[in-house]
Amino acid sequence: MIDTAIASLTSGGAYALLGVGLVLTYRMTGVLNFAHAVVGAFGTYTAIVAFEAGVGYGAAMILGVAVAALLSGGIGVVMARWFAEEATIVRSTVTIAIFLGVLVVGFRLFGDTPRVVPALLPGVRLEVGTVTLTGSTLLSVGGVAVLAGAVAWFLAKTRTGIVLRAVSERPTTARLLGVPLRTLVVAVWAVSGAVAGAAVTIIAPTRTNDYASLAILILPALAAALLGGFQRVGATIVAGFGIALVELMGARIPAVARYRTVVPFLVILAALLWMQRKEVWDEAR
Amino acid sequence: MLVTVMAIVVAACTGGSVEDDAQTTTTVATTQATVTTTAAPATTAADLEPIKLGSVNSLTGQIVFPEASAAAKAVFDRVNREGGIDGRPIEYLIEDDAADPAGAAQAARRLVEDEGVVAMVGSASLLECAVNGAYYAEQGVYSIQGTGVDPLCFASSNISPVNTGPYLGYTVSLYFASEVLAKENVCALIFDIPDFRPAMDAAIQQWRDLTGKELAFSNFTLQFTDDVTPFVLQARDAGCEVVVSNGLDVHYIGFMQALQAQGIDDMAWVGLTSGYTAEVAETLGSMGAGSGILHVNSEFEPFTLDSPVLEDWRNLMTEAGVPLTSFAEGGYLAATIMVDVLEGIDGPITRESVSEALLALEGYEHPMIGSPYSFGDAPAHNPNRASKFLRLSGGTWELATDDWVVLPTG
Repeated sequence: MIDTAIASLTSGGAYALLGVGLVLTYRMTGVLNFAHAVVGAFGTYTAIVAFEAGVGYGAAMILGVAVAALLSGGIGVVMARWFAEEATIVRSTVTIAIFLGVLVVGFRLFGDTPRVVPALLPGVRLEVGTVTLTGSTLLSVGGVAVLAGAVAWFLAKTRTGIVLRAVSERPTTARLLGVPLRTLVVAVWAVSGAVAGAAVTIIAPTRTNDYASLAILILPALAAALLGGFQRVGATIVAGFGIALVELMGARIPAVARYRTVVPFLVILAALLWMQRKEVWDEAR
Repeated sequence: MLVTVMAIVVAACTGGSVEDDAQTTTTVATTQATVTTTAAPATTAADLEPIKLGSVNSLTGQIVFPEASAAAKAVFDRVNREGGIDGRPIEYLIEDDAADPAGAAQAARRLVEDEGVVAMVGSASLLECAVNGAYYAEQGVYSIQGTGVDPLCFASSNISPVNTGPYLGYTVSLYFASEVLAKENVCALIFDIPDFRPAMDAAIQQWRDLTGKELAFSNFTLQFTDDVTPFVLQARDAGCEVVVSNGLDVHYIGFMQALQAQGIDDMAWVGLTSGYTAEVAETLGSMGAGSGILHVNSEFEPFTLDSPVLEDWRNLMTEAGVPLTSFAEGGYLAATIMVDVLEGIDGPITRESVSEALLALEGYEHPMIGSPYSFGDAPAHNPNRASKFLRLSGGTWELATDDWVVLPTG
């Protein structure tokens, strides 16, 4: 039982990392980025292809993260250049189009057959009593801890962080005050792309993957970010781990086991209903 | 709201691109079929009418089976080079169904009605039997299936596959785990493919009936893209000494990776023929996982070993550029049986005379299979009841059983 909970940490960490990436781009650039996971999946698959072509394992993985960062930075350029003044709903819709574009291009490049990804730290195993922590688990949880710490520090303690928050709320005012808007926005996109690439690369070796199923990791990530209200990094992280735990625990209960993959949908639905509960009442009046 | 839109978009998109693929491929397949048509009769007996044989295969899509028909083609090409059947060349028509029911139905109708094939041979498809079994019965066409996959391949009066298939294959694997490995706690981990579930249940029931034993633990809910770790842990917690699982080749790698990551080395694993590939052995070898733990079932004489039985097969496949796999063995075997059937017919070779010969075919022995092949007039056929088992040792497969493990009848 405890082992299963521990095993869920790898997926949970990846969901949390992806969720935090969503929260970051939303808070700092005012975009709900639907293309987040597919960019990560694109990076991971680039890494797999490079690895299969003979590039060293570590170098291939770093290449994958770099490709995700570049791709995401490219999306950032598009956003900053043409959609900086648009409403959040418009910018978010643009990312749906980008999501589809990257998905289709990836399909053509990588095909739809499942691939095997070697474990990131195959030899690493930490035994705590009867419980085994694998290399992937340690990386995933460690990655979340580092990212959460960095984000908290960056947003609260650095000038750039505060400026970015200003940019997301009043882009024009910020620019009039002399903030180098584009550079900052592109940087945020690139960093969030790198985090997505790393998250997908961590989760990839733990399951049998095809490109599409990795791109669909956007769903648990969205569910986690939604539970964090697209604002709170801490709540998003807890939600990410929680969703993974519920998914895996579901496998132990025969009656619900077949349906456990719909967990993110249920979470999203419940969260939306809960958040809308007052507004429905208001409108009805 | 956005999220719901997103979900719909995702669903729509995935569906769309798959369909796209299917369409592109139909064109490819047609071209292929045409190429075969023109290439085959280029032999000695040009003025004699060719004997037309057909096959329906999943050649494009997510799960493909290209080797069986390619291997069968190699056999027929050789027959043609050597003068054909009583001077008549064989024209072997390969159709692609793109794992699409409509594609499979159209392919069969094209072959049976437009081309007038005398029989089907060497087909390997994800769903061909389910779609065309009843049609073949209606048309009086018989099929020596190269690789039977869907449950109806083993439940049709007009189809008799040369392979054991994933259901009886599962029974043999359970039998191997409990009787040959002689493990006490036998467990089952099974990927959830809704259409296949009744056949899997029947396969397990057959093992219960044969051995009088019960599974110590089972889980039928694995999804193809799951992290398998929690299932492996469940099996360990249930005290499983051996786990018998189905899955694609990549899943056996996933299972062994999970066992390695969790430091479990005292639980044996038995997989189906889908796990018996050179790549699985190499990949696991390079990871240092699964050695001595993973066993797989070979429905034919194991192709990775240097068996003299396979010399002709190996030479022919290498010459024709067909990958050396179990599927290629199935296609070769199906074609070889068909050639023997055709050669044994006195008088004109027509759909009627071939059907008659197949209905009379019983106890066909071949060293590549451990139990005789048969067709006959039974309402269902699953003649291959024997497997050899291999064990992973480092990065290579070694024999776990010298002799065939033959499932007792009854």
